Amino acid sequence: MAGTVITITSGKGGVGKTTTTANIGTALALLGQKVVVFDGDVGLRNLDIVMGLENRVVYDVIDFVEGRCRLRQALVRDKRAAPGELYLLPTAQTRDKSAINPRQMVEVCEELRRDVDYILIDSPAGIEQGFQNALAPADRVFVVTNPEVSSIRDADRVIGLIEARGKGPAQLIINRLSPARVKKQEMLSVQDIVEVLATEVIGIVPEDEAILSSSNRGVPVVLNGKTPAAQAFQDIARRVLGQDVPVVEPQSLSWWQKLLGIS
Amino acid sequence: MGLIDRFFSNKPNAPSTDTGSAAAARQRLQFVLVHDRAEIPPATLNLIKDDIIAVLSRRIRIDREHVSVQLTYTENESRLVVDIPLLTEALSDAPGRARGSSARPATAPRPSSR
Repeated sequence: MAGTVITITSGKGGVGKTTTTANIGTALALLGQKVVVFDGDVGLRNLDIVMGLENRVVYDVIDFVEGRCRLRQALVRDKRAAPGELYLLPTAQTRDKSAINPRQMVEVCEELRRDVDYILIDSPAGIEQGFQNALAPADRVFVVTNPEVSSIRDADRVIGLIEARGKGPAQLIINRLSPARVKKQEMLSVQDIVEVLATEVIGIVPEDEAILSSSNRGVPVVLNGKTPAAQAFQDIARRVLGQDVPVVEPQSLSWWQKLLGIS
Repeated sequence: MGLIDRFFSNKPNAPSTDTGSAAAARQRLQFVLVHDRAEIPPATLNLIKDDIIAVLSRRIRIDREHVSVQLTYTENESRLVVDIPLLTEALSDAPGRARGSSARPATAPRPSSR
């Protein structure tokens, strides 16, 4: 088995990289894949708390790199994502980005690759060493952006850097789209964003209030199924597996559609 | 969701779907922040707890099931709070010592002068 490494990055902070990583990783495991979600944000780790696994972290990837544990010991198993297998590889909270370098990131992923189908790396914001670390082992790169000028500008810069490093073409995840506001012309549409970034879209995730309660509780939305964002993340996971799931811009429901229960 | 519900849940999110998740968030954050600030992960605390139980058990009988080792953070001070219930018999081999059921040394009756 030679697993695929997918790095999830954005340039700008706060656009939903960690939520996206947690949910695509969990969705892939729910589809029967063997998956590691790997926190690339040394010193500001959050994938553990978003997934609700913060109390089970014993060792982290820095412990492995510095020889204090075996890689397997640093993996935290998440048993909620049957029938596949899902593991979290946490990072250190009390160190900084220099605690690991791109070569070591590649080595860690080479070791993981032998045993799993997918490794999803949650990149830190920015374009400095943490981003370079997260990019080094990548086979594919997903850039998360919001329909909002500053995150699109940063996404454009990051997409260029990914190309320059020979890791392109990146694929785009448009997160927190509000179809109702697009309809009212208060928000950039998917078409607007695609025209600016000229990058293939692998998923459109609608704004969904279930996301906040999911991170409050530490339960990724895909684990309880049916909300709009959960369905969008499940669709992305199917596309990752090569299934033909067309990318369509979510439409806002009119009052009579809501009344009739059409979705 | 029925037709009537759907009609009345016109708001983006009915409050009932999210009851109490803020409380969960507060509790989880408190726990994780206290550990982050002290730079002592929960797993290390469990190891410390095992060590304390092992050391004390060599000398005295303690109620292992109810030992609590917790980090607290108040007024810019991290504190390790350890609570160790003793088994009543723990004091029984010291003659003259009253067999109080109280587990805390501070409240254990002093040996009589007889």
